[in-house]
Amino acid sequence: MAKTYVVTSGKGGVGKTTISATLGAALAAKGDKVCLIDADIGLKNLDLTLGLENRVVHTILDVVNGKVTALEALVRHKQMKNLFLLAASQIATKEMLSPDDMRRIVAELYPKFDFIIVDSPAGIERGFRNAVAAADRALVITTPELPAITDADRVIGLLENAGMAEDDIRLIINRFKPNMVKRGDMLTKDDIQENLAIELVGIIPDSEDVIVATNTGNPITLNGNQEHMIAHVFSNIALRLKGEMISIDKDLIYGGSRGFREFFKRIFGRN
Amino acid sequence: MADQGVSESSSNVSLDATKGVTMMFFGLFRRKKKAQSRKEAKDRLDSIVTGRRRSVPVQEVIPAELLKSSETDVVTQIKGYVAQRFKVKEENVKVQFEEHNGYVVIITNVVFH
Repeated sequence: MAKTYVVTSGKGGVGKTTISATLGAALAAKGDKVCLIDADIGLKNLDLTLGLENRVVHTILDVVNGKVTALEALVRHKQMKNLFLLAASQIATKEMLSPDDMRRIVAELYPKFDFIIVDSPAGIERGFRNAVAAADRALVITTPELPAITDADRVIGLLENAGMAEDDIRLIINRFKPNMVKRGDMLTKDDIQENLAIELVGIIPDSEDVIVATNTGNPITLNGNQEHMIAHVFSNIALRLKGEMISIDKDLIYGGSRGFREFFKRIFGRN
Repeated sequence: MADQGVSESSSNVSLDATKGVTMMFFGLFRRKKKAQSRKEAKDRLDSIVTGRRRSVPVQEVIPAELLKSSETDVVTQIKGYVAQRFKVKEENVKVQFEEHNGYVVIITNVVFH
């Protein structure tokens, strides 16, 4: 029976889709059967992030319209055979799907997977309500900036209002810059956690390689670069979601200054 | 005498100029103390976000029977206070009582829209 997470934030551009794809890949790499659902109808991107845009035949709208079942509409990932995507439609609008439709879709997929991750659109309107409807847990994504944190706070309130227990709402801080924190120019993880008052399950340091991974359609955990610092962080988050106790400080080990060794490696290791 | 006065004042001018140049030279290397934006961000965040969760000190403990008998009155009072505080209708305020580890927890949800 699957654990169903909605990845949400309120504010757009904080990394929901990238985190959904990369975390899904990290969980699949640990042997779990994972289904990603793109609930961002009309502005779908999850297929692009996973490099599956050319393989999508049926979308979530085809499932809603009864053309195919949810299982028939799934696209299997090229490299990870236990990672699946239910793509959103580009031409449809969020109003064409209802919270009940989403509940029906997830209910069909629920027995077949270990994890179902629903990528929510930005905002708190219909698209958000659709994405949240079938989830029993939430991952709230924020960056260490005021607008993102205050939107995350609002979303946490809405999730609680929708009946989700506080323990089931967990926080991921994205694009964290430890060097700025050291200089006193960025909010610390404790500042953010104190204000949002939910459990922190991951701190993802800012990295240009994430953009490269999105450009190539290969989540960083699948890039043939499992030793990459970001891959380690996602691996930690995946283990925490599976119930393992791993210190959050372990995520920060990978986000500090690169040091001399890394500096020389970058200069002399260029292609 | 007059010559001496002129040379004294010109030497003072050159001394000031040297001092100025020296100060400028060291000024180039002086580290400017930059304002730390984290503190300001934290203060602003605290003032914005604390609206959702607010700690209220326990001032009075009443017996469970008394709470049970006055449940409707407590709910009405909370609804009235919250409706006034957040400028919403009373029917938009939902009040629930739950028991956790021997404590009565009053959960209040407000629907803003």
